[in-house]
Amino acid sequence: MANKSILLKIKRQSDPQHAAIWEEFEIPYRPNMNVISVLMEIALNPVTRQGKPTTPIFYDSNCLEEVCGSCAMRINGRTRMACSALVDQLEQPIVLEPFSKFPVVRDLAVDRSVLFENLKAVKAWVPIDGTYDLGSGPRMLPEEQEAAYPLSRCISCCCCMEACPQFNQSTGFVGAATISQVRLFNTHPTGKALKSERLHALMGDGGIHECGYAQNCVEVCPKDIPLTRSIAEVGGAVMKQAFADLFHR
Amino acid sequence: MAASVSSSASASAIKVPAGVPTLRAGEGNSFLWRRLHSLSGIFPIGAFLVEHFLSNAFATNGGAAYNENVRFLTGLPFVLALEITFIYIPLAFHAGYGFWIWWRGDSNVGDYPWLGNWMYTLQRYSGIAAFFYIGYHTWTMRFSGAHILTHSEVAYAKVWTELQNPWIVAFYFIGLTAASWHFAYGIWLFAAKWGFIVGEQGRKKFGYVCLVIGLALAGMAAGSLYAFITTPESQVPNMQEFQQLQHAAASYVLPALNS
Repeated sequence: MANKSILLKIKRQSDPQHAAIWEEFEIPYRPNMNVISVLMEIALNPVTRQGKPTTPIFYDSNCLEEVCGSCAMRINGRTRMACSALVDQLEQPIVLEPFSKFPVVRDLAVDRSVLFENLKAVKAWVPIDGTYDLGSGPRMLPEEQEAAYPLSRCISCCCCMEACPQFNQSTGFVGAATISQVRLFNTHPTGKALKSERLHALMGDGGIHECGYAQNCVEVCPKDIPLTRSIAEVGGAVMKQAFADLFHR
Repeated sequence: MAASVSSSASASAIKVPAGVPTLRAGEGNSFLWRRLHSLSGIFPIGAFLVEHFLSNAFATNGGAAYNENVRFLTGLPFVLALEITFIYIPLAFHAGYGFWIWWRGDSNVGDYPWLGNWMYTLQRYSGIAAFFYIGYHTWTMRFSGAHILTHSEVAYAKVWTELQNPWIVAFYFIGLTAASWHFAYGIWLFAAKWGFIVGEQGRKKFGYVCLVIGLALAGMAAGSLYAFITTPESQVPNMQEFQQLQHAAASYVLPALNS
């Protein structure tokens, strides 16, 4: 690119009560920058393109290598991780917005605790609490490990939920990430002790049935988790559980 | 999380907007209704759709064959009970709940213009198009004009007369294509949602199967329409009797209830 500078348009909000405003920034071009390094550059000299001094951009980030899941935001309208969004591959001006379906805390940082609450609601853990040493768990076949490993790569970034047309205040849909974690823990030899509890949880309002198969989740997932396969598999398991409830109770 | 930190630091507590509600595990009946919506689209509505398309394709065998098929269908025992149980109630539920689903979804093909997302959006709009078409079609063919249930011999004449208007033909074509598409992708969604087809490859292949089903149904509907519009009036059976019945029925409010 022949650009000697990088243009940005950033949606800012000082706190949850105040309305959002747009600010434009222009910083000198350097090759191989990502969106986080651009935000760091702005923080060094927080002045808008119009020359007005402002505050540094507030955002969540941690690992800077697409593993922690904290820097997810909307970049040029699409949800993705800021650390792996390379400036040289982005159209300018680069438009940065916070997630649209999560409460904004400040600027680009949002409150994503809904995912944590949903993971708790489906008991997304392996129950090993006890009063004595349970010893080593059952062995997992290599095939099972291979199926489970991609699911365990979820970084709780919430991209799948942000991009989902069914994830909104009206449906209260649980989202792909939680459903995929149900699959992970239901296939775990010890974790499956809570299988029917998890499947029943997903039958509640906002459960797996709200999925409309738009399949944006699997497209935006930065960790390439087979989310639609998880939804189909868990959907089938939920149906089996529903029929079992109907005929075996 | 971060909000609670800042609220404890500042004197005035900052309240973060609620956002999307969490999963209500163990609450509500939406699972049952949503799955009944999915099932009702396949059976009985989808099954009736296929039957109805097949029956109307008898038009390609001429007016007499068409009327003979209508005579058989309208002569089924408990025909009104069959209609109410397997057509009106499921259709009303499927349409009503379908509008509820459509209203609650936030289509976002602008930001995420991918195939699955387009199909998601199309499924909603094809359903709405089919709803208005079916509403019009049911009113004109079943609940007004000459009463086919008691006069099956004028069935062909009634449809033929309706399709003399090219705008109506276009409306039928759009409505029938929308219904075919909605049903075909509905089969795909049913297979995915009920866990019959889980793998990526399998779902992709089954997508092609459903595409063929949808195109076949739309083609069948187009063929039936073509048969009607290319038939000259001289070959339409019982045209005069139809016109008399149609004229007489004009004074009825709900001929079905008066029969």
